[in-house]
Amino acid sequence: MKAALEAMRESVRQQLDSVSDLKNLEALRVKYLGKKGELTGILKQMGKLSPEERPLIGQLANEVRSQLDAWMGETEQKVKEQLQAARLQAETVDISMPGKKKPTGGLHPLNQTLEDFIDIFQSMGFDVVDGPEVETDYYNFQALNVPQDHPARDMQDTFFLNENLLLRSQTSAAQIRVMEHRKPPIRIICPGRVFRADEVDATHSPVFHQVEGLVVDKGISICDLKGVLEQFAREIYGPETKVRFRPSFFPFTEPSVEVDVSCPECGQKGCRVCKGTGWIEILGAGMVHPNVLSGCGIDPEVYSGFAFGIGLDRLTTTRHKISDIRLLFENDLRFLKQFQK
Amino acid sequence: MKVSLNWLRRYLDITVPLQELCDKMVMSGFEVDGLEDLSATMRNVVAGRIIKLEKHPDADKLQICQLDVGKEEPVQIVTGADNVFEGALVPVALHDSLLPTGTHIKKGKLRGIASNGMLCSGEELCLKEADYPGAEVYGILILKEDCPCGTDMREILGLNDIIIDFSVTANRPDCQSVLGIAREVAVALKTPLRLPEPKYAVKGSGQIGDYISVEVRDMDLCPRYYGRVVKNVRIAPSPDWMQQCIKAAGMRPINNIVDITNFVMLETGQPMHAFNLSKVAGHQIIVRRAAPGEKITTLDGKNHPLKPEMLVIADADRPSCLAGVMGGLESEITEDTTDIFFEAAKFRRDSIRRTSRTVGMRTESSARFEKGVDITTVEYAMERALQLIDELDAGDIVPGVVDLNNGLPTPRKLTVEPAKINKLLGLQIPAETMAEILNRLDLPATLENGALTCLIPSRRDDIEGRADLAEEVMRVYGYHHIVGTPIKGEIVRGSQTPQRQAESLLKSRLTAQGVSEITTYSFINPKALDLLGLPEDDPRRSAVPLLNPLSEEYSVLRTQLVTSMLTVLATNCNRKNPSARLFELSKRFEPKSLPLTEQPLELPVLSIGLYGAEEDFFTLKGLVEEVFAAFGAEPDYLRSAEPFLHPGRQAKAVIGDEALAVFGELHPKTAEKFGIGTKAYVAEIQLSRLYQTSRELVIYKPLPKFPAVERDLALLCDQELPVQTMEKAIKKACGKLLEKVELFDVYQGQQIAEGKKSVAFSLLLRSPDKTLTDQDADSAMNKVLKAMEELGASIRS
Repeated sequence: MKAALEAMRESVRQQLDSVSDLKNLEALRVKYLGKKGELTGILKQMGKLSPEERPLIGQLANEVRSQLDAWMGETEQKVKEQLQAARLQAETVDISMPGKKKPTGGLHPLNQTLEDFIDIFQSMGFDVVDGPEVETDYYNFQALNVPQDHPARDMQDTFFLNENLLLRSQTSAAQIRVMEHRKPPIRIICPGRVFRADEVDATHSPVFHQVEGLVVDKGISICDLKGVLEQFAREIYGPETKVRFRPSFFPFTEPSVEVDVSCPECGQKGCRVCKGTGWIEILGAGMVHPNVLSGCGIDPEVYSGFAFGIGLDRLTTTRHKISDIRLLFENDLRFLKQFQK
Repeated sequence: MKVSLNWLRRYLDITVPLQELCDKMVMSGFEVDGLEDLSATMRNVVAGRIIKLEKHPDADKLQICQLDVGKEEPVQIVTGADNVFEGALVPVALHDSLLPTGTHIKKGKLRGIASNGMLCSGEELCLKEADYPGAEVYGILILKEDCPCGTDMREILGLNDIIIDFSVTANRPDCQSVLGIAREVAVALKTPLRLPEPKYAVKGSGQIGDYISVEVRDMDLCPRYYGRVVKNVRIAPSPDWMQQCIKAAGMRPINNIVDITNFVMLETGQPMHAFNLSKVAGHQIIVRRAAPGEKITTLDGKNHPLKPEMLVIADADRPSCLAGVMGGLESEITEDTTDIFFEAAKFRRDSIRRTSRTVGMRTESSARFEKGVDITTVEYAMERALQLIDELDAGDIVPGVVDLNNGLPTPRKLTVEPAKINKLLGLQIPAETMAEILNRLDLPATLENGALTCLIPSRRDDIEGRADLAEEVMRVYGYHHIVGTPIKGEIVRGSQTPQRQAESLLKSRLTAQGVSEITTYSFINPKALDLLGLPEDDPRRSAVPLLNPLSEEYSVLRTQLVTSMLTVLATNCNRKNPSARLFELSKRFEPKSLPLTEQPLELPVLSIGLYGAEEDFFTLKGLVEEVFAAFGAEPDYLRSAEPFLHPGRQAKAVIGDEALAVFGELHPKTAEKFGIGTKAYVAEIQLSRLYQTSRELVIYKPLPKFPAVERDLALLCDQELPVQTMEKAIKKACGKLLEKVELFDVYQGQQIAEGKKSVAFSLLLRSPDKTLTDQDADSAMNKVLKAMEELGASIRS
């Protein structure tokens, strides 16, 4: 009997080697370990054995059973793994096929640029404020040191609604409203829509957008202005960006400067973008005119400040190399979608 | 301000390269808008004298010329022209030359004879009669005998010049002149300036009072009026140098007298006028406002009715000059003018500005008066004009001056502390350096006890105080000295307005739903309101008009965003973009009254526009719901009656008694009017009220401990019964046990009676305290069924 058990064990071991599916495995299990299986068959003959042999054979039979159980378990595991591997193999996809996605929308490129601006200036402690688009002559001009019939009014053609009301031609109007209501230290930006009677063409639009900045405090100098604008320029154009001031004129600042940044396109070697000069003009700025300060009840002998105005549209078009400002207002989805990456 | 480099050189030496000159001017506040090298169009063309002329042996119409072009050897050129002769001085295009027509000339052979260039006609040099006498004569241009052989033609024609177009800021009217620019160039280059010092002989007989009497009636508009008389005027062309200066500035030479007035204006910035004395009625000049009903014919032959606020220079009978804008045709200088009255005046800038606008004429003169001319330059300009009269021997200057004014200003004294200038600049510029810079700018400055005192001449009216002097010092000292300092003060993050925060929230919600943001103009065509079919009394018709719109297309402030959205949908549809989901967040303008008496309300509005195969009324409604959900608002949806929307597929969202949104499918008629060739959907949502809702912090609710019971409910009801009404009734009937009710089917058609619909809801019931039994659920459902029966809805078997 011992030989029979040994032979069975060996036979099962060999047969298990060639098992490749669970059905065959189950058949083997039934054949050898089932209630009517071969092992049971062998054990039924235990009665013929001598009492001395019985425990030994019983022990061997148990050993064989648990060994076969284990082997069959292992085989089952192996077969399952093989089957899973085969299934996974069969499930292979063409990973170059496009992903499935739910379309999302996006912000208009002007507002994307604006969000960047707001982020930069908020991080420098500037509060964001808003002002009305329909302004009075006082806030848009007179309080900004541009009296009636001043030649500076020709610098821009303004849309009027009546003698006194107009569409603001500059976000600077909001400066005054802020200075009337807050006392220094003041540190604000005012983004917004402005209007000038410019015929529509590739570089002009009667509606455009500015971001006005204003800082008023004790001891503010033009070096502080440069510091803030350098920080801004580096965040927008990259850490190597240089800032240059050029003298200019705005009625509400004195001294006034145009602000250039080193051409981000050519690294100042000279290119079409900078017209060979190595610099591109990005904004106008200056120290708040004493008349403007005192007009708002701020003593220019005690306080000083700076202001700047950035043209959002032009900065957006140069930044993204948009050739025609009209694209911004046409809203062709093929254009808008390009900025939704 | 276009300035000829040659002209500038009359007043100072310029030894630096052009680029350096431009760079220095840019950095001291004068941007260079353009550079024009007049010499670039012509090269290697010289004056040459024909010393020998022979017939070509093999061609009847050709002649062989030997030309002296100022070199040792004569140059041989074959010409076909027949107006040449031995001894003639002609323009010669030598081998390898360039003509203004763009033609390159090279040596070659004509019928076997070598020809080393070409003789030029006026046409080939692109000249008109006014540029050079005889230029339009057919044949080779015969030159005047005033230059040696070999002289570059560019020199003869005044083309050896570069025109620099300086941009002059509005605060510097004194730089609307060549001398003004020269003064700045001298400072930028640290070169001395040679100001012309007028001297002349007074040869005319009598006294000015014998010829003219002058009266200024409206001195408020004419603070200074200055006049001189010149007799025996000898009208002739002005000399070449003067003509070249005038041409370089973009003006046309006319005759010596007119050219002198123009030259002096360009040189000094002071406009001048010359009257033909014989045409001044009553020998009287009266500076006054126009009388009602008066008219004038200006030099350009145009008639202008005059308004009483316009200043004129009149004679005894009528206005003869529109002050500061343009002279009158009547008193024009002509060939037979013998005596003239020269005028130099200061007119008030706003008066000239208005007159110039009203008559629609902007002249070199009015442009300067508008920006402001200097009251003291008036006299200098006159002296300069007389000097030129004398130099050109153009007439005899009569003794005596008319100078009417209300007193002339003396230079203003301005004292500042250099330390305060440095504080504003953030620099440590020595006081001595400041004084030196101001002196170079011809703003005489002295230092005393640490204070800087400056004498401000009247031409620099723009300098009012410390900040202005700081700018003068800075722009000369150099802005490259400014070193940025990081912002000082408390480190705080700046704040946002609640409205902007709400906008950000809205935008993120909408973009997540695949909606893209658009930006459109704030003004629209009022006709767009007709296209919407709005009734006459609709408040959206009360749009604020612009006084000076660019065109009708952009002539009123929008009272709604729908028309802009529809225009954009049309653009996209016409460009074959297959679908679109768009939104715009902007303002509408609501006047409190019309005509406007105060600022209109500027109210935040959101518009949404959709089209495409995936879109219908409910995709739009979904977005509208999303917007309200962003603010935690739950409006009621009621039928609305907008004329531009589909009558059966539009709704308004109402909170309280306020309709905060209207939306729906575009009426096919409206779609057609806007050129949208597909079904489109549009919504407009008023945001003011939503922006006022405060966003509350989310408080966690415990997750349910007990299982839920799901029950479906299929009902049959009238097709008009709104689903929202049923839903509300279900919620009310179920009470707290109802966790969620969802519509999952609406069906009309087969097996459903006419006028009825089948509606199916799925209800989720749950108690927070226990597992619901079937009995609990049944009892809740019975209440629901009862409520449904009250609405006329029965369970569908």
